[in-house]
Amino acid sequence: MTAPAPIVGVIGGGPWGLSLARAARRAKQSEVVLHTRRHADGSLPGIRIVRDFAPFADTPLIIVAVPSPIVRSVARDLGDHLSGRHMVVHGIRGLSGEELHTVSQILREETPARRLGALGGPVQAPELHSGRASAMVVGSAYPDVTATVEATMAGPWLQVKTTDDIVGLEWASALMGCLSVGLGYAQVRDDVSPGLLAALVSGAVDEAVAIAKVAGAQASTLYGLGGYGDLLASMALHDRPEVVVGRALARGASLEEAQREAELRVEAVELVPRVARYAQLHGVASGFFAALADILMGETSPEAALARLFGMSTRG
Amino acid sequence: MANKRAAPIFRFNDQRARLVRRTVDRVCEDMDNPLLALNDAAYHETRRLDGSKRAKDQERLERWKGLARRLGKMTQGERELALRELVTEYAEDIAGNFDPRVFSFSTRLVPTLVTGLLNPSRLVRSISDPTSLFSIESLRDKVRVEGDVERLRRLAEIGTLVFVPTHSSNLDSIVFGFAIEASGLPPATYGAGKNLFTNPLLSFFMHNLGAYRVDRRLRHGIYKDCLKTYSTILIENGFHSLFFPGGTRSRSGMVEQHLKLGLVGTGIEAYTRTLLAGQERKVFFIPSTINYLITLEAETLIDDFLEAAGKARYIIENDESSRVARVAAFARKLLGMDGSVVIRFGEPLDPFGCAVDGAGVSHDKRGRRIDTASYVRDVHGNFALNAARNNQYTRELGLEIADGFRKETVIMSTNIVAAAAFELLRQAAGTQDLFSVLRVRDEIVDRDTLAREVLRVRDQVVDLEKSGGVHLHEGLHNISGGDLVAQAMRAFSGYHTTPVIQPRADGVALRDPKLLFYYQNRLTALGLGYDPTRTAVGRAS
Repeated sequence: MTAPAPIVGVIGGGPWGLSLARAARRAKQSEVVLHTRRHADGSLPGIRIVRDFAPFADTPLIIVAVPSPIVRSVARDLGDHLSGRHMVVHGIRGLSGEELHTVSQILREETPARRLGALGGPVQAPELHSGRASAMVVGSAYPDVTATVEATMAGPWLQVKTTDDIVGLEWASALMGCLSVGLGYAQVRDDVSPGLLAALVSGAVDEAVAIAKVAGAQASTLYGLGGYGDLLASMALHDRPEVVVGRALARGASLEEAQREAELRVEAVELVPRVARYAQLHGVASGFFAALADILMGETSPEAALARLFGMSTRG
Repeated sequence: MANKRAAPIFRFNDQRARLVRRTVDRVCEDMDNPLLALNDAAYHETRRLDGSKRAKDQERLERWKGLARRLGKMTQGERELALRELVTEYAEDIAGNFDPRVFSFSTRLVPTLVTGLLNPSRLVRSISDPTSLFSIESLRDKVRVEGDVERLRRLAEIGTLVFVPTHSSNLDSIVFGFAIEASGLPPATYGAGKNLFTNPLLSFFMHNLGAYRVDRRLRHGIYKDCLKTYSTILIENGFHSLFFPGGTRSRSGMVEQHLKLGLVGTGIEAYTRTLLAGQERKVFFIPSTINYLITLEAETLIDDFLEAAGKARYIIENDESSRVARVAAFARKLLGMDGSVVIRFGEPLDPFGCAVDGAGVSHDKRGRRIDTASYVRDVHGNFALNAARNNQYTRELGLEIADGFRKETVIMSTNIVAAAAFELLRQAAGTQDLFSVLRVRDEIVDRDTLAREVLRVRDQVVDLEKSGGVHLHEGLHNISGGDLVAQAMRAFSGYHTTPVIQPRADGVALRDPKLLFYYQNRLTALGLGYDPTRTAVGRAS
């Protein structure tokens, strides 16, 4: 007899959190509890809306999908209701502070939960929302976490790949988010041929791998579905928020205008300059990230930025 | 204080047969594929014994070759029987013994012997006052025990203590045993290298003090399973235990940061099994450090570290600890100085690496109380043995133990002066390359320059100590650089075969770069001192 699917708790009422809640409900008819202030209880079929964290004491699997700046305070409050039994995974593409701490580190510091995981890969909120076939990656050093997420979320329309390299997956998600901005930027430029774009992407991913390795990530994770795969998907995802920001900037929009155009919060905007500084501190080449930071800060023209990037991509 | 005589080890001999039987049963029951396991054992043992000229080894080799030939033709039942015979042989070999009379005798003998080595005239005086022979007080000034001992005594009544100290000398188990005894803590059983049992005197005590035998030459899965299972069963049954998670003595002198977690992991399994049996018994790990002003085997250890083949020489059988005269000279030297050995019991941890208070309650990093049992519940809320999950908990526990090692390290005058002197050697060599620095011989440095460098290193340690990152040995906080050098020089002089540093008319001669490297390495894990893997960031130019 198959054991019943565990109750799934989702924290975060934005499009991503809502899509994850729907996906969990759709996959195994799991009972889903969603913490959100945007929706009223009863407004989402099969999903129980809650306003505080107490109900999460009874949800053995919890998915956190809130913006990275508030994850620490959310985790601290949530932690009051958790025990060692809980599995907590997050789907946040951020890295915290100048030391670039991963979200799982924050969850470790702020909650008693130890079985932590991260979601990554190419899947986007609209695909999850509509049930269009896609793929995601779950990373955890705890095999029971990856197994539980796979059993809870996977279905004919959603492939769930697993990795034990949670650090690699968290860094891959964050850095590919950053590179997606650059991708959007390059895509709309007439002076960027497909060949040049491929060279830029390839060089930028190599650079991301070198930086993430400093933090203990495995290169294979960044070159896999959670890294390269994620970036490849961005090429076709014209409405991915990071890509939207990059495109707008390339057309000469200000950062503020570009972010408005994306409609959603883009973690990469604040992250790119920190990644460049982190790489410099650790003696890792960061030409792509530094150029991207200049683009975001408006400190370079599109032409000059591309000349810099092109110069780098053709070196060696 | 807890009644030490109530500790389970005092009932060990009554339980020995049952413990061995349970070990055999569990190893055999959990073995998925006896054919694979026996093949693996035969392969490793044949390789190990092949070429040995000892008659016993040749006999064993023939046995293994015979088994390897027969394995393919055996029925499943015959393989299971062969497995059981082998496991029984190993479990009997591993299991220790505990004689309360020997324990009682040794707790009096150790201070006496050490006192005698330190001060022979005391032995003469003791003729008129025999009770002075048995005074443990005489050792207290020499071997200091620090840490929250009262909390450990309470925890010993609630659950099973697992001491996990740093390891730098074959004297560690004796010194640590003394620390446990002197602190009023119950004795702990521990796994001692089988090579130590070849010394008749040591063997007599180890055999009768609850030590179990670990044969590090045996690398195959069946033996490792026996060892881990025996340890698990001991902990489940409340036997306080001692592991050296460094695995072997630190060759470099560094505080161990890469730990071998096989036996450490038995704590989680033991705890989970008590929950499954409905008889929860908590397990508390105590990261501890053993800090020597000078190390008995420093010369051999650092040579071994520096030799290309050093890492392969896992068992050293001919170092200073096997020479009685060297041990006596060392003891006389070391114990002639107050506080020359400091043992620090660190903050207790549960098997999941969480901090534990005096009532045995675990807390998360925010200080919340945690139900420890919740960590081994599965997604449906049931207790479950899950080896892959437990391995990850153990890795995280290992990180906390390594962190405890750093925080509980006591930096001695010898470490500071060695770090300062080695930095001056490095400057003289004009390179970061270790072997170039080690080739600089008999460098004479100006006393004031050395004193200044010593104070710079000392102040770095003080800064780290303020943030709880380390402990500076008592009495070093406010003394001058010159006095610190003089103190270290007194400690170094007279024991090592080559003087480490030596006063000269025109300054101080840095005589033995290898030993300076060894003693300064104690600072490396703290991010201080010379680290050949690091660039010279933050160094004085």
